[in-house]
Amino acid sequence: MAVDITDRQFIADLIEKERRAQRSGGRWLVVPILAMTIAYLTPLYYLFVTVFKTSEEYARKGVLELPDSFAPIIDNAVQAWTIAHLGEAAMNSFSYALVGAVLAVAFAAAAAYGMTRLNLLGANGWFMLIFTGTLFPFQMYLVPLLFGYQRVGLVNTWFGMLLVYVAICIPFPLLVLRNSFSSITREVDEAARIEGASEWRVFISMIVPNAVGPMIALFLLQFTFIWNDLLFSSILANGIEVRSVMVALQSLQGTYSALGPNVVITATLISSIPTVLLFIALRKYFMAGLQLGTK
Amino acid sequence: MIPASAILSPEVLREARHRERRVAWQQTRIAWLFIAPAVIMVTVFLLAPVVFNVVLSFTKWQKFTGLDQFAGFNNYARLFRVPYFSEALGNTAFWVVGAVIFPLAVGLGLALLLRNIPFQETFKSLYFLPRVLAPTAVGAIWYYVYTPHGVLNSVISGVTGSPFDFGWLYSSDTVTGSVIVTFVWQTLGITMVLLLLGLAAIPRDPIEAARVDGASSGQIFRHIIWPLLLPTVLVVTILNVAAGFTTFDLLWVMAGDYPGKRTLSLAVYMYYESFSNGAWAYGSAVAVVLGAMVITVSALLAVVQSRVSKNIR
Repeated sequence: MAVDITDRQFIADLIEKERRAQRSGGRWLVVPILAMTIAYLTPLYYLFVTVFKTSEEYARKGVLELPDSFAPIIDNAVQAWTIAHLGEAAMNSFSYALVGAVLAVAFAAAAAYGMTRLNLLGANGWFMLIFTGTLFPFQMYLVPLLFGYQRVGLVNTWFGMLLVYVAICIPFPLLVLRNSFSSITREVDEAARIEGASEWRVFISMIVPNAVGPMIALFLLQFTFIWNDLLFSSILANGIEVRSVMVALQSLQGTYSALGPNVVITATLISSIPTVLLFIALRKYFMAGLQLGTK
Repeated sequence: MIPASAILSPEVLREARHRERRVAWQQTRIAWLFIAPAVIMVTVFLLAPVVFNVVLSFTKWQKFTGLDQFAGFNNYARLFRVPYFSEALGNTAFWVVGAVIFPLAVGLGLALLLRNIPFQETFKSLYFLPRVLAPTAVGAIWYYVYTPHGVLNSVISGVTGSPFDFGWLYSSDTVTGSVIVTFVWQTLGITMVLLLLGLAAIPRDPIEAARVDGASSGQIFRHIIWPLLLPTVLVVTILNVAAGFTTFDLLWVMAGDYPGKRTLSLAVYMYYESFSNGAWAYGSAVAVVLGAMVITVSALLAVVQSRVSKNIR
């Protein structure tokens, strides 16, 4: 079929037809998308109606019914807070996550600098050594760590727990930062070195400022990982003064718990606030960070 | 004119090479300081435990008796004698397949639907949100979705009009599938975001050309979109395979009251044997088997992935 592309009317019709097809196609798509989104959000909707119910109200009403008032959330939170020592646990997790993620990203950045900007002999071998740390499932660390910790008295200590988190959070940031540091031009640090800057100065004031974006993304990822961890803290630090917020949350839940779902669900909400707030505030970095893992 | 060989005499060259090496060593020594914290932390807290785990799996270590005699392959032989291990292995296989297929299938459908609509960013964020929540928190919410008087049964009774109170997490037929659904709920968002990125990278020209030639949407998907999306699909597969093998928190939190919980997966079985039963050496053997499987499967998939992306370029 020969088409005269100079025929304005013909082209305009074609564009209009294409647009109409797209628009009507788009309108049909809304139905499955909305249906699926509603199903998807039901568990979260359940969470939001449940935190405002008293135990009596929860037993009396349907699980998806709206609560009578907002007031019961205070009592639910107070119960969760006192029974599970949620406040202490949240402080523990916050300090593990903050200090652990900062140290891990800092150590990884320093190592990435040493491997990419300095003439380190055997740089690839060192990198492979650390990268090996991402290959094994966590289950392979647990028994030896507990055994070793019992020998040296680090079980149920804040410091011992922190050390494990820092170590686990190093290999992945190193992988990412090694890539982003090598994409910075060599001239940047050569110039600084000729001016007489020490390697430490070059690292801090030339290289790190060029990789702030990935470093924030990596910090968020590791912070979330540590805050969300149950596996390691349930074994290495489950004492009431050092346990993490997830261990505390888990202690509330299950059939052996005498608490109503309204209290447990409120505890769930409380323990999720920090990571959700971080996600909302720094969504772009978060998305970027999770995509880092696949490159 | 002076010939180059006169300047670059052997002595000069040797001297230059010496100086170069001295500088290299100097820099290497400084570099050691930079890599030391990371190397020490990873070696002491990750690599040494892995080696020790393998050694431990060949001993008779019990938490309370502390017997550390060499036991050869006894722990591994026991794996095949007890029914729990093979059951846990079967469930793990179910997990790996489910954790790969369902997020991909649903995520791909959703990504194709969301591709050309307004408010795409809002939908993306909504679907992404569960990924930020802790598996422990997600498990606690979904535990009450599946309880006999929970959300799922109340929806079913509402739709059918007759009361329904099935305990989804108490029956061996439904417990694994139920937890996999929760896993999909949590991972769908990230899978979808990655697939949307992959879709966005596909050039529009061949699709337009095929459409002008009269190809159906199905044909376009099969012959153009799918092959170009395959590298992304494989990346997502690698991520979810590892997650399927090692998921622990969700199972432990959601199926805590399920009587046969030790066989829910190898990760749970390892935890149960080591920390509830105190059979440390045996638990280590389970961990070694799990590690060997994860590493083998991931390595195979990584090879396939790099082949596929090379073919496309």
